[in-house]
Amino acid sequence: MAACGLFRSFSSNFSTVWPLLARSPLLSPLRLTPTAYNGRTLASSSRLSAALKFTDKHEWIRVEDNGTGTVGISNFAQEALGDVVYCGLPEVGTQLAQQDEFGALESVKAASELYSPLTGEVVEVNTLLADNPGLVNKSCYKDGWLMKMTIAKPAELDSLMDEAAYERYIHSIED
Amino acid sequence: MLGTFCVLSAGVQRAWSSSSCLFMDPSSPGLVLQSQSTDVFQNLALEDWIDAHVDLQQRSVLLLWRNRPTVVIGRHQNPWAECNLPAMRSAQVPVARRRSGGGTVYHDLGNLNLTFFASKKAYDRRRNLKVVTDALRRVRPQLDIQATDRLDILLNGHYKISGTASRLSRKSSYHHCTLLHSADRSAIAVLLRPSCPGIRSNATPSIPSPVANLSDHAPSLQWEELLEAVVQQYSSEFGLTSSSQCVDPADEALFPGVGSMEAELRSWEWTFGKTPKFSVETQLELRDERPAARCSAQLQLEVKNGRVESCRVEVPATWLPERLSASLAQALLGERFCPHRAAAALSALLRCESGPLHSRLHNLCDVLVAAMG
Repeated sequence: MAACGLFRSFSSNFSTVWPLLARSPLLSPLRLTPTAYNGRTLASSSRLSAALKFTDKHEWIRVEDNGTGTVGISNFAQEALGDVVYCGLPEVGTQLAQQDEFGALESVKAASELYSPLTGEVVEVNTLLADNPGLVNKSCYKDGWLMKMTIAKPAELDSLMDEAAYERYIHSIED
Repeated sequence: MLGTFCVLSAGVQRAWSSSSCLFMDPSSPGLVLQSQSTDVFQNLALEDWIDAHVDLQQRSVLLLWRNRPTVVIGRHQNPWAECNLPAMRSAQVPVARRRSGGGTVYHDLGNLNLTFFASKKAYDRRRNLKVVTDALRRVRPQLDIQATDRLDILLNGHYKISGTASRLSRKSSYHHCTLLHSADRSAIAVLLRPSCPGIRSNATPSIPSPVANLSDHAPSLQWEELLEAVVQQYSSEFGLTSSSQCVDPADEALFPGVGSMEAELRSWEWTFGKTPKFSVETQLELRDERPAARCSAQLQLEVKNGRVESCRVEVPATWLPERLSASLAQALLGERFCPHRAAAALSALLRCESGPLHSRLHNLCDVLVAAMG
């Protein structure tokens, strides 16, 4: 995808408003107004997940305007997990390398480890999950986000799957 | 008793020089191991080691183990809410936090632990429990044994004889369960209650259940017979030859790195420091002897990562000046939520204060320390 290619050439110092602008040629000219980015173009779920990258452990990361990454688990993962009863999340300030264990989600099925999609530092955790862990099941791409982290090595994003690749990956493991 | 646990019919005990001999036999789709240790931290470390190092994509492993008296809490539980730490200290019963989810259990030598290791794809707790229920029904067909939706095993439709928990990691999974053969049920009743009142927490709770021992309902069922039955059933369900190997979980040559895994599981940071944030709100009853008088105070504190993050002690100003109760609260900040640490932190304050308020201050300190489990 052009947007991914453009993003690759920027270091983490640059504002990530570029990927949003880079994507605009892909949409019809009628949609170049700011309201075009309210998620109602095409199908809303695919508009949201167009910005997501996925790991083979079923975490996703979305690069935000301010350069941090928001991390959560995919719909495939939350379905496999069953009802989440507890989210064990890291402390703000924790340093993580790519693939480090950063916490665990406990569901009726098991305690499942969480693996960091990238190298960086935890800057925020979703405090709503303390009293409402079910948000991970109900809204895994939005309100059920787990944590936000800095992106120390943007090149690592290349090793992650985009949505299409992730869909193919899920189909391959389901067989 | 340890020797009895390890010797098993067809199995020949071999000295394993390296774990590659143990785990790389290509002809076998699986392996049954028995731990020689009754130390919970060594046994939990062995579980971690197998999970991290053994290739479970093509094979499965069953580990059988038991522990000297211990309380084991789930990954996201609160030890102060789940068990009576002061009583356990007196009885020298340690608490261990495992990496799997679920609730709190009491282990002793009359409880058999079974850990079923498999790839994530082959993760099937019902199949594993069927090994246990089929084994029991085979050796004692008269027993009414059923696995429930919650994956407990019940005897006579009512008494819990087994509970289950599990963990999913990178490529592998383990599912472990208890099995009550002849555990000390009175210890369960005494030890599995809160350490202190007033705990409010979103940690995962335990679901208390009435329990029974197999030996109470099938007195002739010996430990060795139970083990043998489980090994045979596992072997036939998973297609192995029916034998098991004894292993020493502290053997660093066989399990390189297991020592540091054990150290982490034994650490205060893991056992207590990993407790989800919680608060304690409770009323304190204060007393004076000469002349006899009483008073109620309020304690409110927040504990994060096992340490006191905030503390409020509200004592009527007619009983003690506010500056004293405030400095008591201040002294506890940052300390581990622990009666010994609290006593040490408060003793410095006590030394500074003499005169008529001293006995009331001393009483308040004692009551505060007692409120910390």
